Formats: sequence, C-alpha cells, structure tokens
Amino acid sequence: MERYLRNQDAIDEAEQATLAINRVLVVGCGGLGGMVIECLARIGVGHLRVVDGDLFEASNLNRQLLSSTMNLGRPKTLAAKQRVMAVNPLVEVDAVQANLTAENALELLADCDVAVDCLDNIPTRLFLQQAAKTAGVPLVHGAVAGWVGRVCVIQPGEDLLNLLYPESGESQGEEQQMGTLSFTAALTASWQAAEAVKLLLGKSGLQAEILEVDLLSGSANRFRLV
Amino acid sequence: MIKVNTEDYPWHPGMTVTALLDEKLFTFRHIIVRVNGEFVPEEDYEKQLIVDGDDVLVLHLMAGG
Repeated sequence: MERYLRNQDAIDEAEQATLAINRVLVVGCGGLGGMVIECLARIGVGHLRVVDGDLFEASNLNRQLLSSTMNLGRPKTLAAKQRVMAVNPLVEVDAVQANLTAENALELLADCDVAVDCLDNIPTRLFLQQAAKTAGVPLVHGAVAGWVGRVCVIQPGEDLLNLLYPESGESQGEEQQMGTLSFTAALTASWQAAEAVKLLLGKSGLQAEILEVDLLSGSANRFRLV
Repeated sequence: MIKVNTEDYPWHPGMTVTALLDEKLFTFRHIIVRVNGEFVPEEDYEKQLIVDGDDVLVLHLMAGG
C-alpha cells in the first residue's frame, strides 16, 4: 500500500499487517499523547483508544500538537479523532472524553495490546500502572519537565513507577517549576511511540530500564532500574 | 566504589547523600533518592551516610505530559 511505502523495510509487510490489527490505549491527549497518537496513526496501528477528560486551554499551545487557536475550549479527544481521520482514515479511533478512574480503567484497557502513559500527574500514573498490571497489558511510560524527558517500559507486575515516584504522595514534579517544552514533549512522545511499536511487533526494547534525555546539556542516558 | 544509577562512582568515607548530590551536580529541586532500593526522605539527605558498595539511584522527579 502506497501509504506505508516509506515504512518499508524498517517495518516489513507482515509487521505492517500485525500493526493493522493491534489496539493501543493512549491515556492523555496533551503534549505527549498528541504526538504519540500522531506517530501511531501514521505508522499504521489499526485501532487507537484515546482517553482524556480535558478541554484545550491557551497554555497548551506551546507544545500540544493537537491544540490550535481554533479549538480552544474543545475536547482534546475530539481533536485527536479528527486529526487521525485526516491523517489516516484506515485507523479506527475510539475517543473517550473522560478521565481514567477506578470505574472505567479495566474497560478502557480491555482488548488493548499496549497502553501508553501520557498523563500529567503522579497519582493517576500510579493508578494506570496498577490497572495495566491487573489487565496484563504492558505500559509505556513517558514524562517531561523542562528540557528533560524520560521513557520506560513496564511489563505487568514490574511496578517500575514505584521506583520513580516517592511514597510521600506528591502529585507533580519538577515540571511545576521548569514547565514543559515543545521539543521535549515531541521527542519523549516519539520515543514512547517507538517503544509501543516494538512491543506490538515483538522487537527488543527497554527492559526494566529508563531512557532519559536532557536536551539542554545534549545528553542521553539509559540505565537499569532493577 | 558505589553504584550511582548503575554506574561505578568513587566512594569516600563520610559520604552523605547531600555530598553525593553536590558532587554529581544534581541541580533539580525535586529529586528521588533510593539507597539499595530504600527511599531516602529529603530531610535525611544530610545525615544519611552512604557506605562502600551501596547502590544509589538518583532520579529527577517529573510527571509532566
């Protein structure tokens, strides 16, 4: 198919067919989620379930791919669905205008091959990790603060976020002071999308490790957590 | 020798968490420190001694999306 010609041969025909029948849950459609959705739709993941209860605000415009001056005040999930329909109508989008909760988490994870954590607060991230463990779904975590981005892949039961976040119950991190920059979000999200695709295709990826990039110093580190 | 984020790092007697953070130039205000897997609260950084052979994890606390 001409649409996927430039995926070849990094993605072969059999792998492309696999992606077409896969389903990925993207939780959060902001700075990370918008770019993750863009990458997964363009590469040809056939089914995307996108979840976010927020509406676009002016403060999103510095980094969130799906935001524009035309859709302020409108649901992020609606923009995600419209964007995917415009980019790749072969992709089925299940847009869920809601926050992740104890009531809906397992339903949202149902039938998903991979979940992608594009959230913006610690408690919901930890909750998603727990729900993904219960559902037996691998989770690709991403987080940003200023010039720094981080990605890790969490297999059910690994609970790696318990190492990244303290027991003291903070809900936010360094991003409160450092903000979130466009290129940091785009790069981190692209890494997340690549790890998600590798999981879908059975390719080797991050294993109990984190990948961290500092775009200010120009350095990247990958190291094991356990 | 100790491990800091899985890499070897020279240890010296009397090394505290604060000393290590200063030496390694960890400048973020929000940092997670675990020594041999155990979370170290910020108020203990000055008094928590690191001993030879410890496995130290120092991570930025970040959750933006």
